[in-house]
Amino acid sequence: MNIDTIILGIATLVGLYMAANIGANDLANAMGTSVGSRAITLKQAVLISVIANLLGAVLAGTHVTETLRKGIIDPNLLAGTPEKFMLGMFAALLAAGIWVHLATVLGQPVSTTHSIVGAVVGFGLVSVGFGAIEWGKVVSIVISWIISPIFGGIVAGGIYLMVKRKILESECPGESAKRYAPFLVFLVFIVLTLSLIYKGLKNLHLNFSFQNALLIAIAVGIFAALISRWLFGIIDFDSKECRFTIGAGGHLVTESLFAYLQILTACYVAFAHGANDVANAVGPLAAIFAVVKTKTVAAQVPVPLWMLAIGGIAVGGGLFAFGTRVMETIGKNITEITPVRGFCAEFGAATTILVCSRMGLPISTTHVLVGSVVGIGFVRGMEALDLRLVKNILISWFITLPFTMILAIIIYEVMLHTFY
Amino acid sequence: MRGSLVQLFYKTPFENLLKHAEKVKLCAQMLLKAAEYYINGDVEKFDEMTEKVALLESSADQLKRNIRNHLPRGLLMPVEKFQFLEYLREQDKVLDKVEEALYWLSYRPPDLPGGIAEDLLDLVKGVVAPIEKLAELTEEAWNYFRNGREQDRILVKKSVRDISQWENEADLLERELIKRIFEEVPEPLKAFHLIKLIGIIGQIADHAQNAGDRMRAMVAK
Repeated sequence: MNIDTIILGIATLVGLYMAANIGANDLANAMGTSVGSRAITLKQAVLISVIANLLGAVLAGTHVTETLRKGIIDPNLLAGTPEKFMLGMFAALLAAGIWVHLATVLGQPVSTTHSIVGAVVGFGLVSVGFGAIEWGKVVSIVISWIISPIFGGIVAGGIYLMVKRKILESECPGESAKRYAPFLVFLVFIVLTLSLIYKGLKNLHLNFSFQNALLIAIAVGIFAALISRWLFGIIDFDSKECRFTIGAGGHLVTESLFAYLQILTACYVAFAHGANDVANAVGPLAAIFAVVKTKTVAAQVPVPLWMLAIGGIAVGGGLFAFGTRVMETIGKNITEITPVRGFCAEFGAATTILVCSRMGLPISTTHVLVGSVVGIGFVRGMEALDLRLVKNILISWFITLPFTMILAIIIYEVMLHTFY
Repeated sequence: MRGSLVQLFYKTPFENLLKHAEKVKLCAQMLLKAAEYYINGDVEKFDEMTEKVALLESSADQLKRNIRNHLPRGLLMPVEKFQFLEYLREQDKVLDKVEEALYWLSYRPPDLPGGIAEDLLDLVKGVVAPIEKLAELTEEAWNYFRNGREQDRILVKKSVRDISQWENEADLLERELIKRIFEEVPEPLKAFHLIKLIGIIGQIADHAQNAGDRMRAMVAK
């Protein structure tokens, strides 16, 4: 058995471990708002996550994978030493995995995305040097980490304000909800469709111009809105809620309609997560496989579809095995998340993640979701938000990058001296 | 749990605020019973009531401190924190005044002229109503902050108006009663005791009204 096969095997294991970790934490958090609002049950959440996440990874996941592989480091500088590149990616994967595991034990809100970016930068620094890193790219990634939660917060807060003004503050919230919900469905589908068909779904070789893509997205949105209008008409729902009724669990009856909408946004979040975060584990893995196969460091290697699929499945497996506990905890503890708030938070988060994913910026799902929830809090939509978590997240940003960087460097050096 | 969203959500202070309001309501109802025992000359039962109120008051105080001590600096609430605390203070003062009224009652044996005793009981009933409403108000406000529905806000506003109106009515009763005491109670000591007592009972309603006003400010848009 040669060194390549061993590395390939171990790398796959580490990649799967990383993917499972992502599922257990990131995805579980992302779906937690749905379970928390009781829009869907735990089992439904797991099912939706696994399927939508897999679809997101396979259909829309390639962009970020490319960024991680060749955006941060210029592979041409390592063209002469493919084994170094391979080792480096392996070190990055392992370092990120260890850091995420450590943070899990310590209870710190770190991001799997940030870990892998830090580790890749660390490997680049030690293997080639300062010049190997595409610093412009790294800076734009770091800026996206700051902007993405804020953007998610603005979208979520804006949607919440709109829902509050148009539905909650109206004389008959039930009637208003029926009237405006199709518009929300329209928004969800337009963003989802646009992100899919405009430079998404590379594997289907769709080449729409932005205008055409927008037109198609609008058409799909209108179609979905019409269907939802028809569906909301069928659902036996107390539309005459002009009196002060409060349904079971303290939720308003109007909220039940948002629970249906939240099923949609839950799929949307899981899909966006698959598109963005599966790449964290698959990106480096794809790079390693490409090197082993071709013995060169090519500037462009297509990420095999099966690898995205395996990554997606591993993330789903991680969620199934370890994430249910996280979701259960969230479901039990976050009673403040009503379907309306859950819908707004998920809509803001998923939209942000899809936009960033499309731009090739690897961001953290959990952090964007936190940003979205806080955004709703800032427009006075939440009962009590503890902003200390936000401080912890800020601290974790400043620790994660140097830590994974140094860890990746150490692992890389040790392996380099052991094997070569 | 790593990075779990749970960390973001803090226990809502409205839960304890409502508990506090319920205790205040209970005390107000006890005040009415105690006043009845007092007027009927049932000193033993009156003392029993006073003790119960004192116990409730100290547990409500604990609740109040618990609420205050668990509003960390980084807490994002739908209302300004100081407004919330001001409301809590007024709600708590209602309770303090109930206790004070009971103590003041106990300072002198019950020998009220017939008509005045009835009027006094009416006054107590008059101030118990706005206090009972406070608990309702707190619950309605909680609903509003939880769901953001205009309908809940309208309910809050209505309750505030009710409390204010009842306070006005209690004020009228208070003034009439004082006038009557000056006319019908010639003994200065007795008159002083009654007038001071009535003043304290009136303050109970005043604080309930203050609390209502604070709540009105909280739901202002």
